[in-house]
Amino acid sequence: MTPIYLQRAALHCALGDDLHSAARALQSDQPPQGEPFVLHEVLEPRTYLYATKTGESLSERLDRLLGETLGANPQALDDCLLIIASTSLDISELEALTSQQQSFRPEDSTPLDLLASQLRQRWGFAAAFTLNTACTSAANGLLYGARLINAGQYARALVLSFETPSAIAMQGFGALMLTSPSGQYRPFHPERDGLLLGEAYAAVLLSREPGDAPLARLLGGFSACDTSSLTTTREDGSHIHWVMQQALRSADCTAAQIDLVKLHGTATSANDEAESNGMRLLYGEQMPALSLLKPWLGHTLGACGLCESLLLLQALQLGPLPAVSYASEALLPFSAEAQQLAADSLLLTNFFGFGGNNASLVLQGCAQGDTTCR
Amino acid sequence: MPVIAASEVHGLASTDDKQLKTALGQWLDSPPRRIDRLILQCLLAAAPLKAQVRSNCGLYLASAHPARATMGALLEAVCVQHKQPKPFEFVNSVSNAAGFHIAQQLGIDGPNLFIGAGEQVWPQLLSLANLDLQDGLIEQALLLVCDERGDFCVQALLLEGAITSAYTNSFNELSAGTEVQRIKL
Repeated sequence: MTPIYLQRAALHCALGDDLHSAARALQSDQPPQGEPFVLHEVLEPRTYLYATKTGESLSERLDRLLGETLGANPQALDDCLLIIASTSLDISELEALTSQQQSFRPEDSTPLDLLASQLRQRWGFAAAFTLNTACTSAANGLLYGARLINAGQYARALVLSFETPSAIAMQGFGALMLTSPSGQYRPFHPERDGLLLGEAYAAVLLSREPGDAPLARLLGGFSACDTSSLTTTREDGSHIHWVMQQALRSADCTAAQIDLVKLHGTATSANDEAESNGMRLLYGEQMPALSLLKPWLGHTLGACGLCESLLLLQALQLGPLPAVSYASEALLPFSAEAQQLAADSLLLTNFFGFGGNNASLVLQGCAQGDTTCR
Repeated sequence: MPVIAASEVHGLASTDDKQLKTALGQWLDSPPRRIDRLILQCLLAAAPLKAQVRSNCGLYLASAHPARATMGALLEAVCVQHKQPKPFEFVNSVSNAAGFHIAQQLGIDGPNLFIGAGEQVWPQLLSLANLDLQDGLIEQALLLVCDERGDFCVQALLLEGAITSAYTNSFNELSAGTEVQRIKL
């Protein structure tokens, strides 16, 4: 695949209300403070990682995010595709409406394309669509957005991805017994007990040109469906292994060239086991540096592909990545010390989701201030 | 346009899920259980093409709306009755659940994408599928569009080989020259 630049980006998340602040908080090893909520019926407490509360509507928040991404005096967007990659879309607004009315009527249902259509008209994008492949939504948005640019259909693509605090998601993951009772988010820990959900909003502008401050180049990726189960992937890791191999092939690089693997790491029993097995199939016992980001952001579901990629890339530009406090006990060989990697490291990033969707991307970071980034 | 097979399902708003299940049973030996209306509708359009679908196929599915009954049940349970969602309803509400069941039933191993069906839905599906066809990741692409505004219609196209002509936004034009298997409920 011909590399495509991640030219400009913005992130609002539990770690901070801008990308730079979030990356600084990650490096200073200051995990976000969650807030409690109660699972209906069983009345058990769980933790949610909210972004900074602003009082904005979803439309106002997305407009601010787009403004931050595009910068002051942006050029016309008539050459730019908008991809909304989200699992939540306007569900929080429908939840508020249902609570207020004390009922949900079929006519209250909104088209899946509504936000994309509204933003296309308001901002003047050349075209727009909504992409929803569960927790691989944003990863697929990046991959297919970049490939549509390479195919010459658009000069640029803006991937907009977000996860709002949805009561259905909180209660639904609780009902599946996938949320952490302890409130400790510990992927790959032998006593891990599930995930914490998180709120986040992220956007990135993709282009063939680096722009004045590129974050990274997307070198390749692959996405496919594991049809063995709707909610988990093959526990032997074979499908994850195959997807990672195909992603590396598309980027024309080898597993040995990768400097760091950003794991999906949900901290659920089956998925961490499957990813551990997939990593061992690819690397044996000699693995590159490993990174976990969900303890810092929460699981942002369809947005994790973009939120985690942006946070990692910005953090690499600023300095070392934090240590994993339980490295000696973990299923995979994490570092117990802060890890200093070059900003232009070669990265393999994993994202897996419901619906059998597994995706891996290959990225190369850009050093801060390096406008050529090659 | 390299369309090798096509199907179209029409049903009334009053066609209930039991009728959809009965119809699906005529095409599939072991249809999945505890699935919702959107999954049933999409499976019913994909099933007649099963004999021609190979494993190295990608799936590109679009729907204008989520499954409204599932969405309504989840919203009522969580926001009105303050109950936990039923696990199968929560899992079915994932937009790509329909794509998963089609891939599982038809033995499709390739990429599996779901998009919201807007005004340009066919060109959008075609352009996504063609990326994977042109790059040789797949040899076939199965495209489906589900639209339920009152009565419902699901249209499906099976493509073999990359698309070299202009993308059109009409199922009738895309399927011209191909026998369309039609199911009316």
